[in-house]
Amino acid sequence: MTASMDEQTPRRRMLLGLGWISFLISLLGPVLANVRFLFPNVVYEGESVLKLDSLEKYTVGSITFFADKKIVLFREKDGFRACTAVCPHLRCVISPFVGAPGASPDILRARCPCHGSTFDGRGQVLGGPAPRGLDFFLVTKSPDGRVVVDTRKVVAPSEHFKL
Amino acid sequence: MVTESPQKPGRGKAVSWLRDNRVVRSIFRRGYPDNDLDRAAVMFSNFFLHVLPARTHVHSLKPTYTWGLGVISLFLFIILLGTGSLLMFFYVPSTGRAYSDMKDLQFVVSYGVVLRNLHRWAAHAMVAVVFLHMCRVFYTASYKAPREFNWVIGVLLWGATLMMSFTGYLLPWDQLAYWAITVGSSIASYPPLVGEYIRTLMLGGDTVGQNALIRFYVMHVIVLPGIMMILMGVHFWRIRKDGGLSRPPAPPSDAARGEAAAFSPHKTYMLVELAEGKTPMVDAQAPEEEVMSWPHTVFRMLVVFVGVVAVLSAVAYFFDAPLEELANPDHPPNPAKAPWYFLGLQEIVSYSALAGGVIVPAAAIIGLMTIPYVDRDPEGQGTWFTSGQGRRITLWSVVAVIPVVLVLTWLNEHYAVRILVPGASQIWVDLLNPGTILIILFAAGSLYIWRRTGSSRMGALALYSYFLTSYLIYTLIGLYFRGANWAWIWPWQATGLH
Repeated sequence: MTASMDEQTPRRRMLLGLGWISFLISLLGPVLANVRFLFPNVVYEGESVLKLDSLEKYTVGSITFFADKKIVLFREKDGFRACTAVCPHLRCVISPFVGAPGASPDILRARCPCHGSTFDGRGQVLGGPAPRGLDFFLVTKSPDGRVVVDTRKVVAPSEHFKL
Repeated sequence: MVTESPQKPGRGKAVSWLRDNRVVRSIFRRGYPDNDLDRAAVMFSNFFLHVLPARTHVHSLKPTYTWGLGVISLFLFIILLGTGSLLMFFYVPSTGRAYSDMKDLQFVVSYGVVLRNLHRWAAHAMVAVVFLHMCRVFYTASYKAPREFNWVIGVLLWGATLMMSFTGYLLPWDQLAYWAITVGSSIASYPPLVGEYIRTLMLGGDTVGQNALIRFYVMHVIVLPGIMMILMGVHFWRIRKDGGLSRPPAPPSDAARGEAAAFSPHKTYMLVELAEGKTPMVDAQAPEEEVMSWPHTVFRMLVVFVGVVAVLSAVAYFFDAPLEELANPDHPPNPAKAPWYFLGLQEIVSYSALAGGVIVPAAAIIGLMTIPYVDRDPEGQGTWFTSGQGRRITLWSVVAVIPVVLVLTWLNEHYAVRILVPGASQIWVDLLNPGTILIILFAAGSLYIWRRTGSSRMGALALYSYFLTSYLIYTLIGLYFRGANWAWIWPWQATGLH
């Protein structure tokens, strides 16, 4: 290339510019396709609708901690509630709730072992770095009388599955 | 038959023949370099040596200037490539097999435990040595023109080293691995907008499972080593093109003053016939300041290599790499601690994930990369801490940070936002925590020193020393002063759980 850009005709400059633009656009497709490729469309990570034991197994006032399913089931006199056992800070599994049987949710306490976030029985953050409270999930009953927790459906912490 | 080489008195004929015969000549083109012409030629004609110049400036060989840290980093990387390749023969990255493969390496495979120990300890050493190398380059002001871009490459290499360590951490699939990666990948989800995408990209799903294991494996054995080798190639090539290792500007020698016009003191890479403009110029240096790279540089490097291998072998023989029980996705160990080089970060993350996981690391990396473009004053290049004033500012910056960090840690233990106001909004936690407050204090302190001294170098020295000291303190806190539920403990109260 000996002629500088100023000496070239406008038409030639325009064609050169168009060439560069099309080249860059043609790169964009493969790059995006490769990035998209890395995002899985199907993952096999266990169920999101969790089937627990039959309703009668859970006595009023009991709090059951399912470490493997990563949920906590509250049986209160108003009905059932279920929340996640995964800390919203950095996804460690929280410790089981502690408090007297049948105690009000405000008195219950659970802590995260990783960075010490503290939650009450309504899932609210009382201390530590957790940016938000624990999610509560929709509780229903299966046709064969078992408790079903749908972790895809987040509900208000006060919402009970009434019997 | 064989070309007759002059026999030296007192040396056996066999040795001379071994050093110089037809086969040796076919490989090396020349006999053993025992004269300066051959010593120069060997540096040019040997593929592995041509990275080095034919002659080396004596300042570059001063142990108290470089401490050999860059070369040690390279040797550790080579050891990691070797041991890592061997370990790959016995390791399958499957959640069902990974942990038992580790156990096999420990108890069944001949020398498996030694190779794994070597790999683990070399990785720890590399994280430390690369960081110390960065400190050396910083405190000797070696990032200044014309080496700005090589400093940026170096920061990238430091980041890649940490990523290598982080990805390697998951592979044993033990408790430590599983929960360190659960926590680490969750930190990656905190940047606004793109966070969750980054996390999905890392894990190949929503939880640490088979998809995450294979991704971390591919990153660890192919992608990151490949990136590092390219970056290292550029890094070393730039050292040569930027005029060798940094050193203080030399007082003009007799030759440079023009008294002996027999040769030019300026050595340039001549491309004058092909390209216009300035060529990268090697600093004015007189021949008496240089020594032949063979043997002076080559054999020093060999000694360092032998030293690195000896120390690592001793450590690998006497200390086994930790392996906890099989990964259990139901229960994190309590406390769940990251590897030591991330413990400082974990401590800040325990105040606020946004501050510790996003703001502080981003500020540190952006700050490091922009330093050579902000601090452009060529002052003090090649001298530790630049000057007496720089020495004092560095010392006092280190001393001043210690009480500030300790007071902030104490305040956070007793008067954190959510202790004063239970259930306070996350915005206040993200704004008022030791991590965010320190960044503001550090910026203010270094800008003050810059204005007060009128030297950007002094401001940079203060800023770097602030970050370095506070990170070391937080690492020590995370290592020795944090127990179950990340609560404050004294080292003698530790339950022994790593």
